[in-house]
Amino acid sequence: MSKFARNAAIIILSAIILFPLFYALSASFFTPQDFTASEARLLPSSVSARNYMLSLSHRYFLRYLVNSILTAMLTAILRCIIVTMAAFAFTHLSFKGKRVLLIALLSTLFIPPDAMLYENYITTARLGLLDSYLGIILPSLFSASAMLMTIGAYLSSDRDIYDAAMMDGAGDIRYITTILVPLTAPVAITVFIQAFIASFNSYLWPLLVTTRPKMRTVQVGITMLGFAEEGEFGAQFAAIVIVTLPFLLLLLAGRKMIMKAISGGMSN
Amino acid sequence: MNIFRKLPNVNKEKNIRAYLFLLPALLLAVLFSFIPLAKSFIGSFLTISQSGKVLGFAGLGNYISLFKNQAFLSSIANTARFTVFFLPLNTLITLAAAALTRKKRRYTAISEFIFMTPMAFSLSALALIFKELFRGRVSVINRLTGLSLEWLDQSGPAMAVLVILGLFLDFALDYILLLSAFRGTDKSIIEAAEIDGASGGKLFFLIELPSIKNILSITIFMALKDAVLISAPVMVLTEGGPFRSTETVMYFYYLEAFRSGNRAVENTIAVLMVVFSSILMSLISRRRRDV
Repeated sequence: MSKFARNAAIIILSAIILFPLFYALSASFFTPQDFTASEARLLPSSVSARNYMLSLSHRYFLRYLVNSILTAMLTAILRCIIVTMAAFAFTHLSFKGKRVLLIALLSTLFIPPDAMLYENYITTARLGLLDSYLGIILPSLFSASAMLMTIGAYLSSDRDIYDAAMMDGAGDIRYITTILVPLTAPVAITVFIQAFIASFNSYLWPLLVTTRPKMRTVQVGITMLGFAEEGEFGAQFAAIVIVTLPFLLLLLAGRKMIMKAISGGMSN
Repeated sequence: MNIFRKLPNVNKEKNIRAYLFLLPALLLAVLFSFIPLAKSFIGSFLTISQSGKVLGFAGLGNYISLFKNQAFLSSIANTARFTVFFLPLNTLITLAAAALTRKKRRYTAISEFIFMTPMAFSLSALALIFKELFRGRVSVINRLTGLSLEWLDQSGPAMAVLVILGLFLDFALDYILLLSAFRGTDKSIIEAAEIDGASGGKLFFLIELPSIKNILSITIFMALKDAVLISAPVMVLTEGGPFRSTETVMYFYYLEAFRSGNRAVENTIAVLMVVFSSILMSLISRRRRDV
């Protein structure tokens, strides 16, 4: 393939991929009239921060953002802890029924959460967890694929260090927090990033288990801001830009780490 | 002798400790995977009222009536239509993007970043943007393409928009997997082939592509699973319309379970989906082991 053809293909593909981003950015400055122009506009007729003011002063929008960041952080941290504990037990301790329990936990990989949506909703409702952070995060706290990845990393860690630490009277918890996890930090970071992205982006489950506006996550809330109904499409796009921009910056800063985190899950 | 009497005790203590470490994971797996699976499986053979009361044994009745349900059959057809367009396009486009940028050159960092940007968008944000891009006859897309379709109000075009949205949603992840696979191939094999005179297309199709075939098939199976289980993009973009033409199996499941309280449909579809995804997952994990 010639250099020219390759570059042309990359540029065309890039243009297509960037187009929705470009349009969202541009439309976040549209006036209500810009949206109803007789010919669809690509650029705003004027630039003002009005739409951003509107969406930032929305009663719940910032609350949605906070809810999302909080639930995503909680999911990522708790999943790391739960997965670390389980992987530690499987790789460092001997106990009865190890094989059976490992197979049982791994078999959850075969059960798509989407198909369990209704039953899990009923369970969450029975536990009285509707409209709570715990209800939003609970079903996604354990991840068999994250556990598998972590087991893979722990298997390659040196058992002699564990035995030595035990000999010195360090407890399991101390060994895990001061030796095992720091030594296998890349896998913990991978699990954390994957969990954060998945949780922040989840739509269906938070939609089902939250009814009060105060508890909605941003993915759900952003479709219910009510700006479109008032003809304020521009404010809707401003909200989209506000939600998306931090992730673009994170992506820019941590591109290599995120790439590694995503492809890391495959090599085990 | 004392030591021997103590040994089992020590082990027992260790046993209990191990179970304590496993407890959170086990509890969550039981609560949110095994119990719901068992309930769906058993429930799929029972007649259950809307409020959850067991009214009797149904045998295979629920399955038989599911496959006689016209709305379910057309949701299968819609899902199949989506998959038939989505799967090959997704594979080709992500593979092309990864192949184009696989060698590190001066500006690859920029194109890598651009190809990863769809990841920054969440499903609902992207769906909202698409709704506006394709809205009405004076839509942005019509202006750019010169078409005059009412994209979201006609069944064929609405499905096309759904496919395009699906392509955007899966693009970054598949791109990263394929790119890392290309970059992870053994350089010495490629160099050896180059010395033997292979170059350009030949090198790519005979050496590089075969060397990533495991990751490639994993991404294809994952895309297939995403396609067959698609529901959330449908919900935000089209709500199954127009005229139920984009109502996929899992969106149909959602409507029946949460809007109509139809337990027979809910349980049987859940079981069928578990069977389907188990087959796919075992194909994926077999390949993952060879990576």
